[in-house]
Amino acid sequence: MSGALVWTLVALGLAVMVVRRRSLAVAIVTAQALILVGVALEEAESTGDVLAAGALAVRALVLGGLFFLLVSRTRSMRPVRARIAPLARAGIAVAFALALTWLVPTIGLVSRDAERGVLALVALGLATAALRRATLFQIIGIVLVENALALAALELPGGASTAIELGVALDLILVALVAVVFYERIFAEHGAGDSAALRTLRD
Amino acid sequence: MVLGIPALTTAAILLVPERLVPMFARAAALPTAALAFTLSALALSRPSEPVVGDWLVLDVAGGLLVGVIGGVGLASVLVSPAYLDGGVDTLVSRKRRQKIYYAVLYAFWAILLAVPLAGNLGAAWLLVEATTAASGLLVGFSGKPRALEAGWKYLVLTSLGLGVALLGIVMLAAGISEGGLDALSWETLGTYSGGRETALIAYLLLVAGLAAKIGWAPVHNWLPDAHSESPPPVSALLSAVLLPAVLLVAWRSEHALAPVVGTHTAETVLIFFGLASLAVAVPFLWRSLPWKRLLAYSSLEHMGVIALGIGFGTPLALAGVAIHVAAHAVAKALGFYAATSLLSHDPRAGEHPVTGVGRSKPALGTTMGISLAALSGLPPSPLFVSEVLIVAGGFQAGRPWAAAATALLLALGFLGLAHALIEITAGDSPPRDPGPVAGLRGLTALTGVSVVLLLGLAALAVVLPESDLVDALMRGLS
Repeated sequence: MSGALVWTLVALGLAVMVVRRRSLAVAIVTAQALILVGVALEEAESTGDVLAAGALAVRALVLGGLFFLLVSRTRSMRPVRARIAPLARAGIAVAFALALTWLVPTIGLVSRDAERGVLALVALGLATAALRRATLFQIIGIVLVENALALAALELPGGASTAIELGVALDLILVALVAVVFYERIFAEHGAGDSAALRTLRD
Repeated sequence: MVLGIPALTTAAILLVPERLVPMFARAAALPTAALAFTLSALALSRPSEPVVGDWLVLDVAGGLLVGVIGGVGLASVLVSPAYLDGGVDTLVSRKRRQKIYYAVLYAFWAILLAVPLAGNLGAAWLLVEATTAASGLLVGFSGKPRALEAGWKYLVLTSLGLGVALLGIVMLAAGISEGGLDALSWETLGTYSGGRETALIAYLLLVAGLAAKIGWAPVHNWLPDAHSESPPPVSALLSAVLLPAVLLVAWRSEHALAPVVGTHTAETVLIFFGLASLAVAVPFLWRSLPWKRLLAYSSLEHMGVIALGIGFGTPLALAGVAIHVAAHAVAKALGFYAATSLLSHDPRAGEHPVTGVGRSKPALGTTMGISLAALSGLPPSPLFVSEVLIVAGGFQAGRPWAAAATALLLALGFLGLAHALIEITAGDSPPRDPGPVAGLRGLTALTGVSVVLLLGLAALAVVLPESDLVDALMRGLS
């Protein structure tokens, strides 16, 4: 995979940190996953590789469809106010990504760009889940991390495993389905998908 | 077969009429548990002959856990009607409440039974991740705001943690010559050739990610909430079997990667998580907490103890770990099952500490007292013997400071739980409804069975360190 494509994926991940609209964030992570599908198909050398790419495509489309449906069913009467300004969020996320790429040595992928891209995307996913206040963004953070891992699997010297790709796709779809059930109920309960409302359980 | 029956039951429950679901679920629980016990007996009777394949393994550690999962799963299915009869709130459609509850419970049980049998780190990760979806739905099953919050935290934190663990797995896959994620059988992990430094980082990412699912401090934030807000039969499964099942994956990883990262380093990581979990749990054991929250912090403490036992890695410590896993499952599951009756007896108990249950409802107070006494390590609890074995194992391993810190923290934890034990059984009893209590007859029967099991385990703990089983635990899958 070319370095430009890897950094495009990272730039899309960074965009998730700053965009305000949930639908735009969903579109970005879906586009990111579809780029990975394109790369997987281009690099496919066996039927197993094509199947793995297919699993990735199904995952991207199902999650995208599910999240768009969720956004349309939960139009917020009052937008969730950000705790941290978009530029500050981006700054923190970039600092975290730089720290992770600096701390972790070579991880054995086929190119150094891919290694840095994977680590940066993992950092951006974790930062999205931690810093974005709207609850849907926490799930989008998980998808970002999974997209990073899909990139890593594509750049493994031995190639991706069909069985593992299928399993990861299925697991992620199941987790997303359960998250959607929770999200709708949280929205109905609090009138917004705001993670600040989910801080009552403390000792 | 042992995985097939609960998996097929999940599908069948969705097809049978709603009114037949409880009976069907109870009927299927017996053969599932019987097969799990048979598989467990098979593994424990042939400790020197583990079955090791690329995708499936059966050894002493896995066999022990399959037996425990079979037993706790059976009991959870049997006590579920008392919970479902009492609760009215639900996350799902009320019409399909029982159907969805039992279908997801069986799916969770089937996946749990598969985790100890996974012969490949990739497959083990997939199974652990699969438990998240099933158990997440069950955590928030009541649909109450507190349960939604707990379920959401559980989903997000454990999924992110498992994402970090998968990054570690990908790094390991990159350094194994056979290549690919499906080449990560427990035996091939030891052939990693990407350098010690990278292997160590991959191992740290893997264990830290799994720690988020095990509930080890400092990544334990979801644990007290999920355990306290789940339906009691689900809390029992989460605490008594899910956490040890994921812990087994961490142990197998440590065992497999020790030749690459160094045995001392690999074990030190587990000792760190063990001591951190104990140190975080103990102050909460001293506080007056609602019953299920108290049990949740006790889970944090006990997962820490098991981590320490594995980290010490000596025959004494591993004998202690084996007893600890089984005895903790019995005592903790009993404690959570008592919560259904407790909430029926005192509805405020979900959010407030309780006192004097032994006075207001002696049978219920006795069950809670037995559970808490066993969990605190009060002799003759098998957990007392296992904790002594683990501390002795620490000294045997040449880690006197860690062993001494463990002993001190365990003593402090004991004092906290002993205080709770006195308050709950003999403290002042506020006015409570003296009427009938949900599920008390079944709970009393389970208490009898649990006492027999706990005493049996205490006796077994005395002879276990000299047995072939401990040799097999030391060898792992080799």
